Amino acid sequence: MKAMISLEINGEVHEVAVAPHATLLQVLREDLALLGAKKGCDTGGCGCCTVMMDGEAVYSCMVFAMTAPGKKITTIEGLQQNGKLDPLQEAFIETGAVQCGYCTCGMILAAKSHLSSHPSPSDQEIRQAIAGNLCRCTGYQKIVDAIRLVSVGR
Amino acid sequence: MSKMSVVGHRVARPDAYDKVTGGKGFPVNVQLPGMLHAKMLRSPYPHARILHIDTSRAEKLPGVKAVLTPADVPNIKFHPVFFSPTLAATMVRDMLILSDTVRFAGEPVAAVAATRAEIAEEAAELIQVEYERLPAVFDPEEAVGPGAPQLYEHAPNNIVMNPSFSFGDLERGFAEADHIFENTYQTQRVHTCYMEPRVCVVDSDARGNLTVWSSTQSIFGLREKLAFALGLPVSKVKVVRPPYIGGGFGGKLDMGFIEPICALLSRKTGRPVRIEHTRYEDFITTARNPIKMYLKTGVKKDGTFAARHARSVLDTGAHATHGAVVLMVHGMYGFLLPYRCANQKWEGQTVYTNNIIGGGFRGYGAPQAAFAVESQIDEICEKLNFDPIEFRLKNIHREMEQHPFDPSFTLSTYRLQECLEKGAEQFGWAKRRPAAAGDGTKKKGIGLACQPLWVSGCLGFPDIYEHSGAILKLNVDGTADVSMATIDLGSGQTTVLSQIAAEELGVPMEAVRFTYADTETVPFDAPSHASRVTYSAGNAVKVAAGSVKKRLLELAGAALKAAPDSLEISAGRVRVKDSPDKGMTISDVVKMAESPYVTMVPDGMQKSNLQEKGTLVGISSLAPSSNPSPASAEFVEVEVDTETGEVKVLRVVFAHDIGRVINPAGAEGQVEGGFQQGLGFALMENLVFDQTSGACLAGDFLNYKMPTALEMPSEIKSIFIESEEPTGPFGAKSLSEPCLIVPAPAIANAIYNAIGVRIRELPITPEKILAALGKL
Repeated sequence: MKAMISLEINGEVHEVAVAPHATLLQVLREDLALLGAKKGCDTGGCGCCTVMMDGEAVYSCMVFAMTAPGKKITTIEGLQQNGKLDPLQEAFIETGAVQCGYCTCGMILAAKSHLSSHPSPSDQEIRQAIAGNLCRCTGYQKIVDAIRLVSVGR
Repeated sequence: MSKMSVVGHRVARPDAYDKVTGGKGFPVNVQLPGMLHAKMLRSPYPHARILHIDTSRAEKLPGVKAVLTPADVPNIKFHPVFFSPTLAATMVRDMLILSDTVRFAGEPVAAVAATRAEIAEEAAELIQVEYERLPAVFDPEEAVGPGAPQLYEHAPNNIVMNPSFSFGDLERGFAEADHIFENTYQTQRVHTCYMEPRVCVVDSDARGNLTVWSSTQSIFGLREKLAFALGLPVSKVKVVRPPYIGGGFGGKLDMGFIEPICALLSRKTGRPVRIEHTRYEDFITTARNPIKMYLKTGVKKDGTFAARHARSVLDTGAHATHGAVVLMVHGMYGFLLPYRCANQKWEGQTVYTNNIIGGGFRGYGAPQAAFAVESQIDEICEKLNFDPIEFRLKNIHREMEQHPFDPSFTLSTYRLQECLEKGAEQFGWAKRRPAAAGDGTKKKGIGLACQPLWVSGCLGFPDIYEHSGAILKLNVDGTADVSMATIDLGSGQTTVLSQIAAEELGVPMEAVRFTYADTETVPFDAPSHASRVTYSAGNAVKVAAGSVKKRLLELAGAALKAAPDSLEISAGRVRVKDSPDKGMTISDVVKMAESPYVTMVPDGMQKSNLQEKGTLVGISSLAPSSNPSPASAEFVEVEVDTETGEVKVLRVVFAHDIGRVINPAGAEGQVEGGFQQGLGFALMENLVFDQTSGACLAGDFLNYKMPTALEMPSEIKSIFIESEEPTGPFGAKSLSEPCLIVPAPAIANAIYNAIGVRIRELPITPEKILAALGKL
């Protein structure tokens, strides 16, 4: 039995019919064609599906869509402003932090969420902030470099 | 080395912009109108015969469109591995798409296609299967012993193959040795952990022609294996090159069950059919083969090897798949060839068990061997009081020597000595203390390991494909489109190949674009594997670009009234060498070539020469007979907590000789990512199975522990000892695999240096360390 809910995603309200067990990740990908959030495991283990809810990084595979109305959801598609990349997106390109790219969107949003409340993290804090996001290609070093690049005063 | 305008620069990856904004090009995003979703039913038992399957309840579920059982699949035994012809001797054909005998827990027995994935899943659970359980065996040494359950008629005692190679006189060598070391080493089953699950969509037309989108490391490999398994000519199967895939590392180097199952379901329904693995399904689909290695090594007083003998037992699981070739690469390039020794023998066994099947994984048998060989060298140095660098320098090959496997090849660029020396200098190796010299409960130690020689291509394996080809076409705006079958796994193949094409053509990096390719439109290509793409595909794209360049200079020469060899290309412009003001843009040359015979110019009509007409296109297709070997040496510092057994890697210096570096940022990324996989192999990762039921106990990322950013050292320093490989594109060799071959023994040796105990079985967990320290 599906129910209509409204979700505020990237500043836009979407009316969508969802099943009780549908995850936010499923709704983003299958109903709204927002493909930036990736399914890597569907069990809250890899972080490829990370999005922001009211500024907090969450695994969208671990959130029932039914619990999301009333929250401000930000996906990678909402990061560009007036056609300009977010500084974190720029930094990921510049430092070579992108390899296969499957973890990249989740990684950027995890970092974005952390930087919004901790604008000048130490390297150790950066590593802590992305410890819930797995990457198998980069060894994380250039990802840490990218996040450091946009940290204030570092 | 000469300075170049694109090669050797830290260029931005052409795919990065797309990937930081959402990344639409992944196979997981492929959607077609009317697409069905399929799920597989898998055996709960590790060894069983299927007596009866009842699909009636599943078929009645609304939304179900087709069901597939072993009775519906062709009776064709195949092997799924991409890089050799289907009938190659090393490729044991023991798989059916669905079989009525299952040999590992999780082997598919049926599949359902439905309008939604949830319906397919529910329907699969409604299929009733009656099994006759058969005895199972999980330990390869038990499997070859008397009375063990037998998996196949074609393999008495479960032995897939038992190759043996020897040089010189082993007995005499051991008689001449002053010291003999005998040790046993064991590696575990680890997973590639590509982030994008295996996924495919297969569509069929009314005449049964198939089009396949898949997260594959080789479109031609997939076409060949899929056509064979289905009993079709290859021309009935088209595989589309994905713009990128979410990692592979060798784990997508064979056809899965999903592609042939989707193909058959699509033919049954006439609709496109998609399967996406769950992460659990990925974990039981591919793994690095565990190998147990018995080493006996004779050393002379002067520190040279007198004799080396090794025996390796490889657990290939329920099907042979990669097991036979992994074993050969392991024996030859992991054990026999890396060091000089006149008297050597290696014996290997690939053994069937009721464990999951093995697969390709970066390093392909060498990480297992390096763990044993490089650990034992450390043990030898410790006992005989040699410095580990000094000892290796007595036993390694040198530049301009003949290749130890094939004397017709020369080690034209081979800088292992410099890797060791420069690495040692930058790391501070000279400050190494004796083992367990630290005070306190947390003890630091340093260690090193090398990969002296690597296969990097097909040398020694004449039945392995090494082809690459490219089509390069110029556009009227002065840009170039490249079509190649080469897959970018994420390691930057597209970037490196674009740089090579841009350098050869004399255009900026941004002017080169990789475009659509499938198995019907581009030249045959071997997989993206075996550290081969920069070299083999690099040479192919350089030749295609070179042939376009030749035509471009001819046309520009005609227009500029200058001899083609008096021209040069720079920054997108063709100009006369001695008078650079005289020239024209590439764009103008292409416009001239693609304009009609008569062109309107302000003064009226202007005729051109018909010889100057046509698209500027270059095609190449090459198959080098071998790739030159990279070499590497790595230095690691660890801290071991002797109270908890926890190991922290503090810093790493990793030196490689890879010829000229095409893309420094990409090369560093390979080294850093390879180290992460090596650290996981050394300390954490273990795909554990219940030894009674065969069930996977680590089938998700909560139980399968791979390194996060917190486990990684704060700095991995890459050193590249550059040289100009005469046969490589702009002097380049390849890189990927040594980055993961070396870390485990380097870490193990550093742990020994810290606490004075030797762990010979991976992973080196806190429990093993505490047990070795006598604290458990």
